[in-house]
Amino acid sequence: MQRNPIDRQPWGAISAFLLPALTIYTAFTAYPVLRTIWNSFHRVLPRKEEFVGLANYAALAKDDLFWRAVGNTFIWACASPLAEVGIALFLALALYARVPGMRFFRIAWFTPVLMSYVVVGIIWVWIYNYDWGAANAILRTLGLERWAAAWIGDPKLALPSLIFITTWMWSGFNMVVLLAALHSLPSEVIEAAELDNCGWGAKLWHIIIPLIKPTLLNLLVLSFIGKMKIFDLVWITTKGGPLWSTETVSTYLYKRAFEWSTFDLGYPSTIAAVWFVIVLLAVLGLTRALRSREKLEY
Amino acid sequence: MRIASLIIAAACALASIAATAQTKVTLWSHWAAEKIKRDFVEDAIRRFEAANPGVKIEAQWYEKTALYAALKTALRAGTAPDIFYAEPDQTEYMENNLLLDLSSLNWGGIEPWAKEIWSHKGKPYGLPLEAWTVELFYNKKLLADLGIKVPSSMQLDAAAMTDLVKKARVRNQTPMALGAGDRPFPGAHLTHEALLKRLGVADYDNLLTGKLSWSDARVVDTLRTLRSWIDAGLLPTTFTTLKLGESHSYFHTNPGAVLFLNGSWYTSRAFNPPDKGGQPPNFPLGIMKYPAMPQAVCNECRTISVGGSFVVNAETKNGRQAIAFLNSMATPETASRWLENVLVQTGIKADYSKVGGPHAGYFKELAATSQGARYYFGIPIQKMQGKQKEVFTQVFNNAFPAGTISVDDAVKQMNAAYAK
Repeated sequence: MQRNPIDRQPWGAISAFLLPALTIYTAFTAYPVLRTIWNSFHRVLPRKEEFVGLANYAALAKDDLFWRAVGNTFIWACASPLAEVGIALFLALALYARVPGMRFFRIAWFTPVLMSYVVVGIIWVWIYNYDWGAANAILRTLGLERWAAAWIGDPKLALPSLIFITTWMWSGFNMVVLLAALHSLPSEVIEAAELDNCGWGAKLWHIIIPLIKPTLLNLLVLSFIGKMKIFDLVWITTKGGPLWSTETVSTYLYKRAFEWSTFDLGYPSTIAAVWFVIVLLAVLGLTRALRSREKLEY
Repeated sequence: MRIASLIIAAACALASIAATAQTKVTLWSHWAAEKIKRDFVEDAIRRFEAANPGVKIEAQWYEKTALYAALKTALRAGTAPDIFYAEPDQTEYMENNLLLDLSSLNWGGIEPWAKEIWSHKGKPYGLPLEAWTVELFYNKKLLADLGIKVPSSMQLDAAAMTDLVKKARVRNQTPMALGAGDRPFPGAHLTHEALLKRLGVADYDNLLTGKLSWSDARVVDTLRTLRSWIDAGLLPTTFTTLKLGESHSYFHTNPGAVLFLNGSWYTSRAFNPPDKGGQPPNFPLGIMKYPAMPQAVCNECRTISVGGSFVVNAETKNGRQAIAFLNSMATPETASRWLENVLVQTGIKADYSKVGGPHAGYFKELAATSQGARYYFGIPIQKMQGKQKEVFTQVFNNAFPAGTISVDDAVKQMNAAYAK
């Protein structure tokens, strides 16, 4: 029995459409990932590659600097999303409630995210300068001289100071996304609540937040992933110091690959491979934990 | 007839190609933003090309970080230049056989100590163009205002140093400009010079190579002396974020400091015009020795280091020409030109007494601080590798001078870094 030519799969056309994307994906995503995993089992030197089995993984398990970097990165990745999204929700609600000067505030709050981490880093190094930086100048003006500090020079303050910068930078972006979500809320639900004399707090907690929960979840996950990879801000401001208090996995990986006077790419690849798995598991876990079990209907 | 003229034309063309054929030697170097050093190397290239018409040196200029990153990739890929800038702490180049053995270089024109610094497993690998010592510069006027006189030995003792710090702080002046904001070594000068004096060359080397514990009583004592200066307010409050370039102007211009502990290459920035970051005209610059430490084995000991150097790629096809170029720089004339223009020491043999120009007096004073000195070659991060280097940088370049780590914790961190 002969098949109808119309039923036949157009493999030629399929290949023609898929091939460019597949080639790019294979060359720039799949191959580097597989190569990194391959490298992690080797000592990779110029013109020399030596199989070391699990030795890199065993060394990494005992590497206290790596685990310190993991700790800092997790603190950052857990604290930042909550602060950013929390502040962003507050700002978005203020704009949704049409506070005076809302056009100005919308632009002003969104502007930081338009700057690169490099520019932001340089600006904040100035702001945090002990002698003449704006942070200490404001404290001195307010008579709070004793609170003046070397914000990024003190191991106890450096990480919170950097977390503050990313919160300042990204809250505006989250605000814009949340504002769009608020504007797309079904007006009949809000109006029905108002007819039932529902106050602002109850309306926010029982209606608005559940309705924008998917957006909140996406922003939390995106922020979490972003902080798990953070590098440039740390590199510009503290290079992981003082005393590794701001060392993140990305900065440590870079140091091991390019600054530890070794050409070996095997150990840095091990860090990258392990961190990839940790981030993947964390994101899967986070998504699962925060996923809505019941679909909202309205 | 036509064929004959074609043959003649082809022969002429071939001859002209042969006449103009040149060996192209590639060179990648740091100093893109350091015009004086770049001008010096470009002048050396011009002189070499004039003397060797068959060789063309093609230089590309980078800033150090970009250069190192580019080299790491290029050396792996086999696309690295024939000659490139390197510093002797980059032992990874030698350990991976990426550099050409320069035994055939004219070492007679180079200081033996500079050759030693560039030697790895008995073979020399780099032309040590730039050398430097750790110097304690001071503002003669500010020091006189504090009522402190530099003794004829050019060296204060620890008590006088404590006195200086306290007196400067009373007058709301910063005793010593120093910043570790963008480099892994300036903050550590404070510690390593003190330890070298207290321990002497042999034990100091043992300390850096892990053969002597950081818990050694002499080490701990020295760190406590330093900590007393730090706690008395020795360094700027902005020390941790102050960049190297900024620390220069902090010392000589704004806000001004009494002392400045820095490599002798201070002058390659400071002797520029003020609008290019130089010190003000008639700035009362003085040099003294690092303070004598209590119970020191060797108060005349000091660090000398080799900085910017040129090495040859092991895979070069132009090794002969590359070595010839490096040899053209290993002469007393080149060394004098370097001293007079760049105003920093060099590893090439030079007669410092013959240095002329407007800064001849400075070189005399610089030579006086080294009178009778015993040298240790290289700063600690040039001796250390991997974790030891990382921990030393975090602790002694940053946290210890900033006063954010105790002596006991600093010792603990260093011992842990050396633990097998």
